[in-house]
Amino acid sequence: MRLRSPDFWSGLALAALGGYTVYTARGWEYLGQDGPGPGFFPLWYGIAMLALSLLLVVKSGGEAVSWKGAGRAFATWGAFAVSVVLLKLAGFVVGFAALTFFMVAVMYRRPLAVAALVAIGTTGAFYLIFPLALGVQLP
Amino acid sequence: MAPKIAFLIALSLAGSAFAQGFKPTRTVEVVVHTGPGGGSDLLARAVATMIEKEKLLPVRMQVVNKAGGGGAVAPAYLAEKAGDPHTLGFFTGVWLTNPITTDAAKVTLKDLTPIARLVLEPALIAVKADAPYKTLSDFTTAAKEKPGQLKQSGGSVTSRDNVVRQLLQRSSSARWAFISFPGGGERIAALLGGHVNMMVIEPAEAGEHIRAGNMRVLAQVSERRLSGFPNVPTLKEAGFDVPAVPQVRGVVAPPGIPPANVAYWEDVFRRLTRTASWKKYLDDNQFEDGYQNAADLSKFYDDFTGTMRGILQEAGVKIVR
Amino acid sequence: MEIFGGLLQGFALALQPVNLFWCFVGVFLGTIVGIMPGLGPPATIAMLLPLTFLMSPASAMIMLAGIYYGAKYGGSTTSILLNVPGESASVVTCLDGYQMARKGRAGAALGIAAIASFIAGTVGVLGLMLVAPPLARFALAFSSPEYFGLMALGLAMVVLLAGRSMVKALLAMLLGLWLAGIGTDLFSSESRFTFGSLELLSGIDFVVVAIGVFAIGEVLANMEEATPAEPLPIPKGLRNLLPTLQDLKDCRFAFAQGSVLGFVIGVLPGAGSTIASFISYGVEKAFSRRREQFGTGVVEGVAAPEGANNSETGGALVPLLTLGIPGSGTTAILLAALVLWGFKPGPLFIADNPSLFWSLVASMYIGNVMLLVLNLPLVPIFAQVLRAPAYVLFPIILGVSIVGVYTTSSSMFDVACLAAFGLLGYLMRKLDYPSAPLILGLVLGGAMERALRQSLMMSDGSLTILVARPISAVMLSFALLILLIPVFSKANAWRQKLLS
Repeated sequence: MRLRSPDFWSGLALAALGGYTVYTARGWEYLGQDGPGPGFFPLWYGIAMLALSLLLVVKSGGEAVSWKGAGRAFATWGAFAVSVVLLKLAGFVVGFAALTFFMVAVMYRRPLAVAALVAIGTTGAFYLIFPLALGVQLP
Repeated sequence: MAPKIAFLIALSLAGSAFAQGFKPTRTVEVVVHTGPGGGSDLLARAVATMIEKEKLLPVRMQVVNKAGGGGAVAPAYLAEKAGDPHTLGFFTGVWLTNPITTDAAKVTLKDLTPIARLVLEPALIAVKADAPYKTLSDFTTAAKEKPGQLKQSGGSVTSRDNVVRQLLQRSSSARWAFISFPGGGERIAALLGGHVNMMVIEPAEAGEHIRAGNMRVLAQVSERRLSGFPNVPTLKEAGFDVPAVPQVRGVVAPPGIPPANVAYWEDVFRRLTRTASWKKYLDDNQFEDGYQNAADLSKFYDDFTGTMRGILQEAGVKIVR
Repeated sequence: MEIFGGLLQGFALALQPVNLFWCFVGVFLGTIVGIMPGLGPPATIAMLLPLTFLMSPASAMIMLAGIYYGAKYGGSTTSILLNVPGESASVVTCLDGYQMARKGRAGAALGIAAIASFIAGTVGVLGLMLVAPPLARFALAFSSPEYFGLMALGLAMVVLLAGRSMVKALLAMLLGLWLAGIGTDLFSSESRFTFGSLELLSGIDFVVVAIGVFAIGEVLANMEEATPAEPLPIPKGLRNLLPTLQDLKDCRFAFAQGSVLGFVIGVLPGAGSTIASFISYGVEKAFSRRREQFGTGVVEGVAAPEGANNSETGGALVPLLTLGIPGSGTTAILLAALVLWGFKPGPLFIADNPSLFWSLVASMYIGNVMLLVLNLPLVPIFAQVLRAPAYVLFPIILGVSIVGVYTTSSSMFDVACLAAFGLLGYLMRKLDYPSAPLILGLVLGGAMERALRQSLMMSDGSLTILVARPISAVMLSFALLILLIPVFSKANAWRQKLLS
């Protein structure tokens, strides 16, 4: 059991989920009048999840994961999440253009002009293809 | 007598004059709770086509699919569109029963603006052609002898199929199992394959199987005999004094729209139900004309949900409101 | 030979210019629909229904069917090039197809997908033509216990998808099962794991998870390097632009079993092309000599699922046309269309409308040829998509994913879920959890639970129903055998160590 190894933590997280599932499943009918109730399956796969994830925690000893680039990936994900919010508030054009701009400028360190161009170009393309040509709604 | 008639004429003239106060000016959105191809979706599309053909509206109707939430997303969406005169929704029985059984389904028909009830979809009670039951009583007698052994295929536990089962069980003191299948195709396959003994099926679905000799109909779940099934007894005629639970479909509008709009929409749909294309549509699909105006629909809603609550509780479904 | 006569009559109708035209329109539209993630045949067909009143029912049916199987051809394109499943059934194609693209063999992957689809599509039509009625009766014998056996068999495939850590693969599968459990229980109307959210009452759409985990996860993983050398190698030379003869030879078994399995599974009402492609992939992997290489870009890994999801369309038409029972979402709409045009689908449909049936069958042969001709030359063109610089390509992938998800459901909630699953996909990648078992669990979990509960209801609680019936017993034994494969191979390795 290697504390700090990624398997350890993910195993723990899954064990928590498994435990939660088992706990919630106890609250539902296990075996109803006509057959297994809603609690039947979740109980069993919850137990399986719990058992296997604990096994993983004990066994954990995978190679350490290189978290080097992770910061950039998380940042991109953050931008994606923000753009989803923007999508809801301001629509596809704004949200997507912002995301593209961020990705090109920040992630790829291209000059700002290029970033703006790409952002506008791709957003425009999407706008042309989807709502106009295909009649499909965009957020 | 004459003054009364004159008064009524004056009133209706005033009413229609009132209705002239509202006319849609852009495409009307019709919200349904199914995806493309679902029951409500097809009805909405058919209605839109008919309205266009009969020129009952100056604008187009566009179907908007808001599936999800077990049918609860669509009413919630409508509720959000309060006051919007260019949105309508097509409701079905599920809109009425969801708030009873599901916590998260908060929007009831009363929270929206009822416009009209359009169709009642009757159903048939069918068994496989080689089954030993010739009448519904045969089936219930057999079920009484072997409680829980006979099986019925149907939709979810809150669906009309199960409601009919609950009512019949109560009336005949028999008990048989209910097996849920998410798709109509699977239910029919289960019956034809001999895996279940009986099912509640829509006339349109059953027609061809009966013609091919694979299915036999024991009774019809409707108040009057359908034109396509003149020789099949209704539930009452078969000796079961239970209400013929219909599957209903109709029109609602978002909350907070002015009475002039309600009158306008009522008028449009009333005229729709008088057209020949509507009658043909009902005929083709074996639906019953269940037209009710807004006021009657409101009352129907109260009666229906009250009955449903009782039945579902008996069926062992958790009631939340 | 009335089949022959019917077929001739069908070809006579199908080869008429107007029908050829609509067939082309159908397959072309279908290909586009398949390429677009999220937009699928059911929605497209529903949108086109009003248009169909302007043409003869035969032409309309030909066109709509063309959309149906055409979409399966197109679905592989984005799966291979961008790791975005264009169609739910194309998820499995992402596994090896995208890996082939990464190795510079995108063209070969696309080409094999088209060829496998053609072969399987043709087999599917042959099946529809020759064995439809008896197969339909067989399908009726299939009910919940058999479905359970089938699903169990499918889930047992996880063993074959495992990769290095069996424990992690199983955990991924269990997570998939858990995700499948979210929503309203069919049998009791109890809401499970919905945390009070309205949108979760219907569960999580599998497409959202698939696109999130595969596409978004992939993009995020790629973001780690500031300046990647080249996102994907551009296929150079004929060897990589089209499949080689060696590729075709390798895929012999895949072509055969993909076609047959896909067709048979398609006939079963309720079992869809996603299940068909998973099982075909699993079978291919089980019998392949280079099974450890699956997942790294093996050509049979593309041929098998692509074939299966194409012949499945032929199979799904069997219950529709011979019994009037729709087996999938798209066939349900086709059923509605037939009713709308005034037909009565049912057991007597073919007998009553021979010209419609045979012209449809003939048009499917023609359509498959059209699609092959349409798709193969496009392969090198599509492969050039990869030329785009990373900073243009990846935002486009994200955009396509968002649009794809939004068009299916018009729900921002689903787009938010997309973000969540994208993060999950990235983490799974980092932590070395295989993503295929997750999808497998999600797809099969719900169906398996339903099948088990239905079976137990049928048998009044006795589990013996699962083995008492021959078909389900056979499937469960297969499932068991598959589960024992790792035990066998470990035992073999052990034995060899002892002997050496």
